[in-house]
Amino acid sequence: MSAQVHANLTEAQVEQISGELDEPEWLLETRKEALAALDDLEMPDVITTPGPRHWTNLVDLDYESLVDPLEFAQEKDRVEAEGADVLSWDEALAEHGDLIEEHFGSVVDPQRDFLTALSTALFSAGTVVYVPEGVAAEDVKIRTRMNSRSLFNYTLVIAEESASATILERQTTGENLDGDQYYSGIVEVVAGENASVQYGALQNLAEDTYNFSVKRGHAHKHGSVDWIEGNIGSRLTKSSVETRLLGEGSESQIVGAFFGHEDQHFDINSRVWHEDEHTTADLVTRGVLDDEARSVYEGVQDVGRDAWDTSSYQRENTLMLSDDSEADASPKLIINNHDTEASHSATVGQVDAEELFYMNSRGVGEEQATNMLVEGFFVPVLEEVAVDELRDDLEELVAERLRN
Amino acid sequence: MSSDQDHLQDTDTEARFEFKKEENSAFEAEKGLTEETVRLISEDKDEPEWMLERRLRALEQFQEMPMPTDWPGQPDLSEVDIEEIVPYIRPDIETRGGAEEWEDLPEEIQDTFDKLGIPEAEKNALSGVGAQYESEIVYQNMQERWEEQGVIFCDMDKAVQEHEEIVKEYFMTKAVPPSDNKFAALHGAIWSGGSFVYVPEDTSVDMPVQAYFRMNSEGMGQFEHTLIVAEENSEVHYIEGCSAPKYSAFNLHSGGVEVFVKDNAHVQYSTVQNWSKNTYNLNTKRAIAEENATMEWVSGSMGSKATMLYPSTILKGPGATDNHITIAMAGEGQDIDTGAKVYHNAPDTKSTIESKSISKDGGRTNYRGLVHIADGAENASTSVECDALMFDNESTSDTMPYMEIQENKVDVAHEATVGKIGDEDVFYLQSRGLDDDDAKQMIVAGFIEPLTEELPIEYAVEMNRLIELEMEGSLG
Repeated sequence: MSAQVHANLTEAQVEQISGELDEPEWLLETRKEALAALDDLEMPDVITTPGPRHWTNLVDLDYESLVDPLEFAQEKDRVEAEGADVLSWDEALAEHGDLIEEHFGSVVDPQRDFLTALSTALFSAGTVVYVPEGVAAEDVKIRTRMNSRSLFNYTLVIAEESASATILERQTTGENLDGDQYYSGIVEVVAGENASVQYGALQNLAEDTYNFSVKRGHAHKHGSVDWIEGNIGSRLTKSSVETRLLGEGSESQIVGAFFGHEDQHFDINSRVWHEDEHTTADLVTRGVLDDEARSVYEGVQDVGRDAWDTSSYQRENTLMLSDDSEADASPKLIINNHDTEASHSATVGQVDAEELFYMNSRGVGEEQATNMLVEGFFVPVLEEVAVDELRDDLEELVAERLRN
Repeated sequence: MSSDQDHLQDTDTEARFEFKKEENSAFEAEKGLTEETVRLISEDKDEPEWMLERRLRALEQFQEMPMPTDWPGQPDLSEVDIEEIVPYIRPDIETRGGAEEWEDLPEEIQDTFDKLGIPEAEKNALSGVGAQYESEIVYQNMQERWEEQGVIFCDMDKAVQEHEEIVKEYFMTKAVPPSDNKFAALHGAIWSGGSFVYVPEDTSVDMPVQAYFRMNSEGMGQFEHTLIVAEENSEVHYIEGCSAPKYSAFNLHSGGVEVFVKDNAHVQYSTVQNWSKNTYNLNTKRAIAEENATMEWVSGSMGSKATMLYPSTILKGPGATDNHITIAMAGEGQDIDTGAKVYHNAPDTKSTIESKSISKDGGRTNYRGLVHIADGAENASTSVECDALMFDNESTSDTMPYMEIQENKVDVAHEATVGKIGDEDVFYLQSRGLDDDDAKQMIVAGFIEPLTEELPIEYAVEMNRLIELEMEGSLG
């Protein structure tokens, strides 16, 4: 299943990227191994129905025409919080080389699939966030504006014991960029004992962009990793947001929101593994689809054999505004420990006719009423977004889409 | 019946011996399932040419299709050796006419029958000994009562002979084509036995039609086919009685069930299965519901080593309804992968799925479901509810629902919960004087009540007793 893209990629390119970041030997080796592994790796898993029906077709994408490893023009803003380091890769490698060597690839296996390996081999943009023990880093911001045909972004977050961090990431596309683009983002989060990391991402890339992202966190004892994942832009998004609850009492919340229109396709995955006692997870996603947009949602709550006293909840709701849109969902429960309280639910529906009628009868026009109901639909998710700025941005993007 | 078929059922030892010899050489010449075998089966049954052709076509498809192996978390089928399937048929052909003795059955099975309080004659029937006779009686009773109204209820092999036109129209053409999956194809090639139910227009069969012991009566009963045709405004409740544990040299059961529910008709199909723990139960069951028709599936899956069974309904006519109530229980070494599939292909269609599972002693249950709402199926509504109860930490319970929604004017809801048996509930019952085992049993009985209340009382009682037996000694 290997894509042809490999034909155009060379070790020399990888070496050049690595050289520009002034990387140590081990990282260059990791990249080269990822490059070599491309031949044998499969595309990321997409769910298939017992049909079998593939819901997201990654195989037929022409990566070759999208990927240009040596062109990575971008604008990046990084807002640092006091006591924490928010660094570009070359700075981070110089300052925290050992730390990076310890954690890089420990959360997201560089060879977990073809696209992840491609990202590992080629990443040239990215950020390292290091929050030392006991430091509370609020309002870390990373804004990326993509100005090249392809961009490979790699973010590593290390929160040491009792540290906390709130990180906001935003991806947009610059002007004057024609044709299809490819954006790839890998995020690894390590939350040490008692540490808490909240990572919010708002993806608003141009609508001719193919977007692949993997965000994965490890939560150690009493640590927490919370994710907020907003998807508005791109033509095709394949997004996986995952937490492994490795330590006793660890927690994770995954909040997702998407709004698709025209021919956008969102393949959204939320996954959590309960691997120790007293762990808690809460997965909540809401999406709206208009025109011919399509969403595929897979949520997995995996309760391991040693995960005594687990609480795990998942809910996903999709609102369909158009008859040509399509919503597929599969919320999965994998339970290996009986001392568990777990539930999941999923609903799909249209704008409630009665509510619409009620609003019409109060003098609110059809379109405005629908818009208000769509905005209202996102409220339960927005309420879960503890970061004001992200919530405001998301609300604004939803409103903007409704105006168009 | 033809003389060819008679000779198979003849107890004359010489005839049987000769037949066996023939078969031996045929089977040993070629491994796996061959065209020769299929021809032999068809010939034995004196089937019309078209049926032989369908079998051969199914065989071709079977040979082309891969084993289902790539579903996430699906049961391990690596022990299901297709090459060995034909040799498994042979012992059952030998036992046609009743060669097995009650005493030859494994103790576990005998013990279960005893505990179920099943009398000797029935035990014989259930174990396959002399079942032919018993089943004939069952059929006769049915026919007397309803034949005047034109209701047909008979053995599937007989239906091919006597109701050829109806069978020809419906048999594996519309609901379960052999191309559906590898085991449907296998079934299409070597099916044998099963039930045929035909209910004419405006006819209500007001008592459940039961095929209880019959399945063992046929030599290759593990590939039985059930075909139910309910014409407009008719009503029937069919109960498939494999509710007793079956023992057989087979370790593969691959049945096929096809149900046609015409306009305004109502069919309920109930089954409580408790296959022996060496059986792979890989069935295909599908109903097609026309305008304003109602299809109801009630199923309990208790036995087998591994089950992959997803009764499905195609809601083809506007206003059609489909309800599933299913319960699965998995104990040691069992992997019960079961669920429901519903295709909403017309407006105003409704479906409900209520799935309950119990896992204990390292067993695994999985709900695997599919709800498909086609573009144009306006005002479709569906609700899926899955509840799992787990007894211990060795067991596994998974839920894998899939929903494909292509229409916006719909109401789709899925909910699933998993929990252990409530300590508080147990404590409460204990404080009322029940011991721990009884308390847990009572909680389980309450948990599965939605299923048992859909079943006629004798089946409900049996279901409860089977669950009690399953839980015996495992609590504490």
